Amino acid sequence: MLDLRTPTGWFFTILGLILVMLGVFAPHLRASLSDLNVNLYSGMSMLVFGGTMLLLARGRS
Amino acid sequence: MKLEWVDYLILAIYFAFVLGIGWRLRKSVESSRDFLTSGRSVPVWITSLAFLAANLGAQEVVGMSASGAKYGIMTSHFYWIGAVPAMLFVGIFMMPFYYGSRARSVPEYLKLRFDEKTRGLNAITFAVMTIFSSGISMYALGLLLQLVLGWSFTASVLLSAAIVLVYTFLGGLTSAIYNEVLQFFLIVFGFTPLAILAVVKAGGWSGLQSRLPAVMTHSWQYVHTASENPMGVDMFGLVAGLGFVLSFGYWCTDFLVVQRAMAADSMSAARRTPLLAAFPKMAMPFIVIVPGIAAVALGQMSLGYSLPLKAGGGYDYDQAFTTLMAHFYPSGMLGIGLTALMASFMSGMAGNVTAFNTVWTYDIYQSYIRKGAPDAHYLTVARVTTVVGTALSIATAYVAQHYNNIMDILQLVFGFVNAPLLATFLLGMFWRRTTGHGAFTGLLTGTTVAGLALSLTVAENKGGWVAQLHRFPSSMAQNFYIAIFAWTACFLVTVFVSLFTKSRPAEELHGLVYGLTKIPTETGVSWYRRPGPVAVVVIVALLLLNIWFR
Repeated sequence: MLDLRTPTGWFFTILGLILVMLGVFAPHLRASLSDLNVNLYSGMSMLVFGGTMLLLARGRS
Repeated sequence: MKLEWVDYLILAIYFAFVLGIGWRLRKSVESSRDFLTSGRSVPVWITSLAFLAANLGAQEVVGMSASGAKYGIMTSHFYWIGAVPAMLFVGIFMMPFYYGSRARSVPEYLKLRFDEKTRGLNAITFAVMTIFSSGISMYALGLLLQLVLGWSFTASVLLSAAIVLVYTFLGGLTSAIYNEVLQFFLIVFGFTPLAILAVVKAGGWSGLQSRLPAVMTHSWQYVHTASENPMGVDMFGLVAGLGFVLSFGYWCTDFLVVQRAMAADSMSAARRTPLLAAFPKMAMPFIVIVPGIAAVALGQMSLGYSLPLKAGGGYDYDQAFTTLMAHFYPSGMLGIGLTALMASFMSGMAGNVTAFNTVWTYDIYQSYIRKGAPDAHYLTVARVTTVVGTALSIATAYVAQHYNNIMDILQLVFGFVNAPLLATFLLGMFWRRTTGHGAFTGLLTGTTVAGLALSLTVAENKGGWVAQLHRFPSSMAQNFYIAIFAWTACFLVTVFVSLFTKSRPAEELHGLVYGLTKIPTETGVSWYRRPGPVAVVVIVALLLLNIWFR
């Protein structure tokens, strides 16, 4: 059966890449109340999570 | 709120993944058991996250933050006195009977333990309730997207329903469960930053405490009498009504959640499913309630943010969550947040559709309409039921759009349908002498008492159609007390009738009743793989949370 960690890993890696790229190339994209580069930090956390899922899936198979 | 192309791209990627998972899992369906019960083959980390996500509809996210904005941290009682203890109970004490019996559903357990009529009553009520709940939450989502993004009600309802339909049709329960896990992670990543940003902006927890009235930041200090707190509930109603009857009634008997645990690959995994789900459940208030509280504080800080007002005056608390998102998330993250909202809706809807499917196919169709057909026939019926169930939900969403008041009443009624059922299950599982006649009469009496109590008492203009014998300080208090009455009535009548009717012989009750079932004891596995020690850790964490926020 499908190892769910693989699609989960890819999903968050892709989302993370999109957000990190936004954070790097459009760093001034801010909502009215946030002082942080929200896209960059959330994107990095998603990349870490996605990557970990992919590593775990690879380690098992 | 305005979306950019990148936000739509993120939404599209999400749709592609959930459909892709359904497509990949289509080959795992060979029999009706695979389609409707996942063939009891799902790993425990997946069942436990699905157990949580199936209950986490968009209505819960939006509703709980609205309640946070309205009542403050007292809303956490729905988690820290409500859900979590009930989840421990179902895992430790009830799962051995659900998973250990040959039952494929909760109504089927009632058939094995009691008789056909008790099963029929439960199966039909449950089927009707699921369709209505699914329709009502679909309506809520359509309304929200219309309000926030200006999307057409029909387009958002049809699109999200179509996607849920396709992936559950392809892979059945397994597909629903797998996607629920993906949706759960997305909810965490989509909503956690909002909670952090909003609370930090408001000066952290101490900032919230200094800006808001004390009753908003204390969960236990103002519940001694109903008049002290804005929820209008007192300690007894809260602990007995919410903490015991309503929460245990939902988490221990509602097939929607129990089905996820029953899909686990072993008895031990089935028991640990709700226990492991309790950890993220305990953390949910920080993601859904705390932003609501922060929204109120932010509104007083002259930052250019304020809670939107309702047309009729007063704050529109339901918009707390989405307006915060619009003020804290830039394009990109906004797409993630919005997709997470859609995901929470879809996980809730898929939960309803798959539970309806199993109950309809096994407990109604196979039991009353056509017995003894080959399995392929039931698999076809199950697939067709997926389509019919989704169509009925959509129809209900439109009915809800036109007859809002009826839906309000229905929701009130559903609130305590599970209350008498809890008494039936507790007696059925732990008292051998309970009989089918007792269970059936008890259930009917319990439900009747609930209906009577609702039509004889009034709170916030709800109920009291026949007479107004008592006025509750709030509709929440009314709900809690009606649940207590219904449970007590069912309990007493079931015991009374059981004592005068003939109980089933012991040999027929093996695996169904405490004392006649071998409760699995696990030795030789590490402590964190055993239900008992895991439960102890949950209890300690739960106590700490309740003491910290008292």
